[in-house]
Amino acid sequence: MTATARSAAASAGAVPILAAQGLSARYGQVQALAPIDFEVGAGELVAVLGPNGAGKSTLLRAILGLVATGGEVRFLGTVLPRRNPVAVASRGVVLVPEGRGIFGPMTVLENLELGAYRLGRDAQERERRFARVYELFPRLKERLGQAAGSMSGGEQQMLAIGRALMADPRILLLDEPSLGLAPRVTEEILETLRVLNRSGLPVVLVEQRAPSALKLAHRAYLLSLGRLAAVIDPREVHSHEQLAQYYFA
Amino acid sequence: MDFTLIGQSLVSGLGIGCVYGLIGIGFCVIYNASGIVNFAQGAFVMLGGMITHALFVRVELPYGLAILLAVLIVALIGVVLERVVVRPLWTRNAPMFVMILATLAAQIVIERLTYLAADDQPKTLPVFTDVPPIMLRGIAVNIQSLWIITGSLAIVALLALFFKTTRTGKAMRACAINREAAALQGIPVHSMLALAFALSAGLGAVAGIMLTPTQYTAYDVGVPFAISGFIAAIIGGFGRPFGAFLGGLMLGVVQATAILYFGAGLKTVIALSILLLFLFVRPSGLLGAAK
Repeated sequence: MTATARSAAASAGAVPILAAQGLSARYGQVQALAPIDFEVGAGELVAVLGPNGAGKSTLLRAILGLVATGGEVRFLGTVLPRRNPVAVASRGVVLVPEGRGIFGPMTVLENLELGAYRLGRDAQERERRFARVYELFPRLKERLGQAAGSMSGGEQQMLAIGRALMADPRILLLDEPSLGLAPRVTEEILETLRVLNRSGLPVVLVEQRAPSALKLAHRAYLLSLGRLAAVIDPREVHSHEQLAQYYFA
Repeated sequence: MDFTLIGQSLVSGLGIGCVYGLIGIGFCVIYNASGIVNFAQGAFVMLGGMITHALFVRVELPYGLAILLAVLIVALIGVVLERVVVRPLWTRNAPMFVMILATLAAQIVIERLTYLAADDQPKTLPVFTDVPPIMLRGIAVNIQSLWIITGSLAIVALLALFFKTTRTGKAMRACAINREAAALQGIPVHSMLALAFALSAGLGAVAGIMLTPTQYTAYDVGVPFAISGFIAAIIGGFGRPFGAFLGGLMLGVVQATAILYFGAGLKTVIALSILLLFLFVRPSGLLGAAK
């Protein structure tokens, strides 16, 4: 980590709530992610940037223990289990996966209900969560009875984030939420993430559109070919040329 | 051809078709929850009849209680099968052919254990309601067939209600659509798999129990029923429970009609011909395959 990035982390008031040490990942015999240290502080929005195949999604999957990993991931001081996404989700670490992972044949309402699967029968809390999601994404409320798979890409992404919020996450991880979306819709989604983060929710955002992500992020990790290439302080990036320097360094 | 005879065949075909349909639904429920084709499904059908017979005849429990206990016991056996045979392979991402072989092996083991525990003699059960058949325009409809048809329809309706309205049912559907996304929501996918086996085993048991009074049961009746249920699921569109039920009805009626024209000796040939026909012409089945 560069000195400036360290100071950026410090300035975000970041006591790490999520800390990965020596986290690596492999698919079979292929090392997809070289050992990496990764931190997210309380209230931080951390972007993970890099070109296709850089290992961004693998990093998220490694944090959740969805792939064979080395190293250790701690969340709020306790080690996260490996190969047990259910247990990880129940700790409040919730991922919006690449491709959204919505349940297409099911209705919007059913998708949202399943987001709150672990809540049980607390109707008051359920209503509070629904109200929060509807406030952020009013369009979802208009489409409750619609099959999720029949909605537009942007609406599906809203649903994927809304469903994740129904779990009342303590940290939200998003894998390429802008993938396949029009720029206007992407801005809408990213603005919602900004609102969520300002409300105190830590966010990890994997994103190929680096300029958009850097506008939101307190800190960014740049990956290349499965390795950490740089930790970027967005305040130090004033132009595309500067960003390109990081990419080509 | 005598229309009364055709009507009689249709009634009989619908009855056996309902049973095929229930077995087919069992295939679909497990396949949707896990991606596994469970060829031990026929064992559940056999066990339903055999355990009910043991509890009713040997232990001398009341008939209704024997049926209820048998369904519960078979559901439990389904869970044990899932834990002992399926889950260890499933968590290691074993290929489909390994899973098929493993469940076939389980079918044979259950069959032989049943043979050792009971014997090789066919066994039957009393009809649920001992009254004469109803005559409809010369067609004799026996009451047990009505039990099978109405019972099966009720089960299909209850299953639809379960999957549509309950939290667990919706979670099972979510697992069927995208298992990893379901796990990321905190849905316990392993428990859902165990539940799918319990449900399928229970369905198979009910099918076996309803059918036994009209035919017989024995330690080795499982495989033919498994094949018919599998064909029903293929016809309906594999992974589509309602499709499997329709497929079962279609298979039962076509088989019964064909027996009328060509004789019972060709029953299996006809069933397998229908399977081949669908695999060649419409492999996604009547409703389109779920995956």
